[in-house]
Amino acid sequence: MNCETARRLMETNDPALAEHVLSCPSCMIGTHARYYEAPPGLERKIRQSLGHEQSAPSTWRWLTIAASLLLGVSITWNVAQLRSRVDPEQLLADNVLSAHVRSLTGTHLLDVPSSDHHTVKPWFNGKVDFSPGVKDLEGFPLLGGRLEYFEGHPAAALIYGRHNHIINLFTWPSAAITGPSKQTRNGYHLQHWFGDGMTFWAVSDLNETELSQFVSLYRHN
Amino acid sequence: MTASPLIAVPRGTRAGRTAMDAARKRAFFEQTVIPHLNAAYNLARWLTRNGDDAEDLVQEAYLRAFRSFDTFQGQDARAWLLAVVRNTCFTFLRKRGDQPTAEFDEQIHSAADTSPNAESILLNQAALGSLHDCLEGLPLEFREAIVLRELEELSYKEISDIARVPVGTVMSRIARGRKRLQQCLAGALR
Repeated sequence: MNCETARRLMETNDPALAEHVLSCPSCMIGTHARYYEAPPGLERKIRQSLGHEQSAPSTWRWLTIAASLLLGVSITWNVAQLRSRVDPEQLLADNVLSAHVRSLTGTHLLDVPSSDHHTVKPWFNGKVDFSPGVKDLEGFPLLGGRLEYFEGHPAAALIYGRHNHIINLFTWPSAAITGPSKQTRNGYHLQHWFGDGMTFWAVSDLNETELSQFVSLYRHN
Repeated sequence: MTASPLIAVPRGTRAGRTAMDAARKRAFFEQTVIPHLNAAYNLARWLTRNGDDAEDLVQEAYLRAFRSFDTFQGQDARAWLLAVVRNTCFTFLRKRGDQPTAEFDEQIHSAADTSPNAESILLNQAALGSLHDCLEGLPLEFREAIVLRELEELSYKEISDIARVPVGTVMSRIARGRKRLQQCLAGALR
């Protein structure tokens, strides 16, 4: 007697089945033990949890991206801070201002005291490898010239006067085209520009308007 | 197989590819493993003898299966899933303190081994109830082997892979399980 026979006999309630049940109860399992089917809703729950499972790593991925972005921004900001700290133009402005103040506090304002640009300009010959533009400017009398040193190169300082104020105009050849710019430090005004392969810094305690006037006159004279 | 584009994901980027892979993996998993939900539940239900536990454990097993789906080599998905379900259930039962009871007292049950008069047995709903009770009453590891063999109709080899025991042990468990069922039924139906 096989299981199929047993199943049929089962339906006919035949006592002969009993013998088979005892000889092969596992046949009865296959045909008559309960096969539990998954409750409704379980599949939906599983699909949902798979969705969460899938989005979990994606959360991590977004966190990673966010962290990377933060790091990037942080690095950029820090580099920017560092750059601004060592901004060469600001460093130079510091040096320019120092040179100006030094020239006023000491006794070394003028190497060549002269109001004649025909005297001042040639004085630089042999001292620097360039010829600074020494100009007569209406309302800003030339007082003389001096040697300075910026960015590892000799520079010409041209000293002009305005009432009781002193203007230092520093100039030297430069490959870097920077400026024009204006700034005020410790009550001093600085103006910077570039022209004809030369860099220029004008610095004075003169008011900004008159210093601008001076710069404009110099540049267009 | 090709994954159906169920989920729109950005392409080309690395994140896009990863999302694509994940979507493909999930689609493949659902297509391959979800259809065996009834088998999973049936096994869990027989092992735990409790519907709520079975439901929770099947859900947990599916998550485990999904996480380790990379190890699926294209073998029989049902047997592969049932192994995960089986391990999930055993872990749960052990934690709960239900030790597998295959080594239960052999002698007590052997003592009941008296052949009943076959003609005296009337098969009816009570008999079916006894069948159910007897199967539920089997030691866990015998029950597991019988359910996988008789209800899932898996081969001895497949059962040995799932239960992680040699084929000989599977055969022995099934044989002993059948014998106990026989005794149990005989006792119940007498």
